[in-house]
Amino acid sequence: MRESFHRQLEILDQDVVRLGALVERSTELATNALIEGNKELARRVREGDDDIDRLFLDIEKRALAMLAQQAPVARDLRLIVAILRVVTDLERAGDLAFNIAELVEVEDFRASTIKPVRSLVADLGRTATRLLGMAIDAWTAKDETLASALAQEDDRLDDLHAELLGRLVELKGEDALGPAIRLAMIGRYFERIGDHAVNLGERVRYFVTGDEEHLG
Amino acid sequence: MTTSDDTQGFVERPVFSVRDLNVYYGSNLALRGINLDIRPRRITAIIGPSGCGKSTLLRCFNRMNELIPGARVEGQVLYHGEDIYAPGVDPVVVRRHIGMVFQRPNPFPKSIYDNVAFGARINGYKGDMDELVERSLRRAALWDEVKNKLKKSALDLSGGQQQRLCIARAIAVEPDVILMDEPASALDPIATTRIEDLMQELKEDYSIVIVTHNMQQAARISDETAFLYTEVDETTSARWGILVEFGETAQIFTRPKDKRTEDYVSGRFG
Repeated sequence: MRESFHRQLEILDQDVVRLGALVERSTELATNALIEGNKELARRVREGDDDIDRLFLDIEKRALAMLAQQAPVARDLRLIVAILRVVTDLERAGDLAFNIAELVEVEDFRASTIKPVRSLVADLGRTATRLLGMAIDAWTAKDETLASALAQEDDRLDDLHAELLGRLVELKGEDALGPAIRLAMIGRYFERIGDHAVNLGERVRYFVTGDEEHLG
Repeated sequence: MTTSDDTQGFVERPVFSVRDLNVYYGSNLALRGINLDIRPRRITAIIGPSGCGKSTLLRCFNRMNELIPGARVEGQVLYHGEDIYAPGVDPVVVRRHIGMVFQRPNPFPKSIYDNVAFGARINGYKGDMDELVERSLRRAALWDEVKNKLKKSALDLSGGQQQRLCIARAIAVEPDVILMDEPASALDPIATTRIEDLMQELKEDYSIVIVTHNMQQAARISDETAFLYTEVDETTSARWGILVEFGETAQIFTRPKDKRTEDYVSGRFG
């Protein structure tokens, strides 16, 4: 009866997964660029952001057209509403990876002054990337249990972030001030990426249960 | 079956309480085990695939099924607590309280005025007939279009105007409930919109139960929705309608509780 619409909706959902993969890749590259001090990698993250934005806008446009033309209800409606929220979170997470890459391009975080926090920063980046990956897996499978597990992983990310801030304050030497401020920003960006991942999990739970609480 | 939760916490007396209703046409079961409450001054939509018994259920509310030979009803239909199928209840009196509007506009081949005045005259209305006709036509959002041609034949009106005239005729006898059996399915989109707007105004004073094939219409206009579905006996191939889910319309169209409702409203079958 509505086969062609349901096919379109399936393709739209696959594109959301594709957008998720691009953003996850971008976060991973930004983390590696940071750890290695690799400005070339950082540049690739910045350039890749255009693809993310284009796909985001395309998905949003198609979702709105479906709302207007197909008057979706029940699970179809919940999927489109969830998609509109999810792509915003993914696009924002992509922007944060972009912001991290920008800072990597202007600062060499391998400087000896910040050596005490380097492994912590790496851990923060990898945890944020893993969290995002888990969220995208939960979305792909529409798996509520997987989605519920995200909050716990996010707590770990928040702890790492708090620990980083504490350690940055303790850094010695005037040379450390600039990199420390930038690392505080980067830490914040990773922590925000984690929040967007948690939001993704909430949208999965909304789609599965229909409980509007998970839209907030 | 699942029902909506009453989160308001107060008890509102239903207009109709349907209890364990079975309807037969001859020996064939048409509806089985229907239980639901119709709340006052709300629009309740009945949806479901063709042949699931939507119109049959609607006709139970004013004993219209009795006009079909062989039709038989078991269980109770309580109207403000009184069983309308109890012995000694006059179906004509029932229908005075519970008006009906049909799929095809069916004005009498009389003047616009006489159509509206018809029921009141039969009931021996003692008040000012001109005033009643004007009030009913205004209430049906038709007055401005017909006030200068009240003596003209109702059959000269457009389909949408004829349907609003039938609504005016129904409300002229001051009913409590208006039953509508696909009232807009024979109308164009603009006339349909007018009927839908009119229903929103009418629900301030009346309880409305509407059968509709158009799910978007049910979603747009109703406060509560009942989803009927056909159950099939595998061995005898006998089919009858059951109530699958009844609840707030917003809930039915965003997070139906039953898989069959989900599949039907999202167009996965039917």
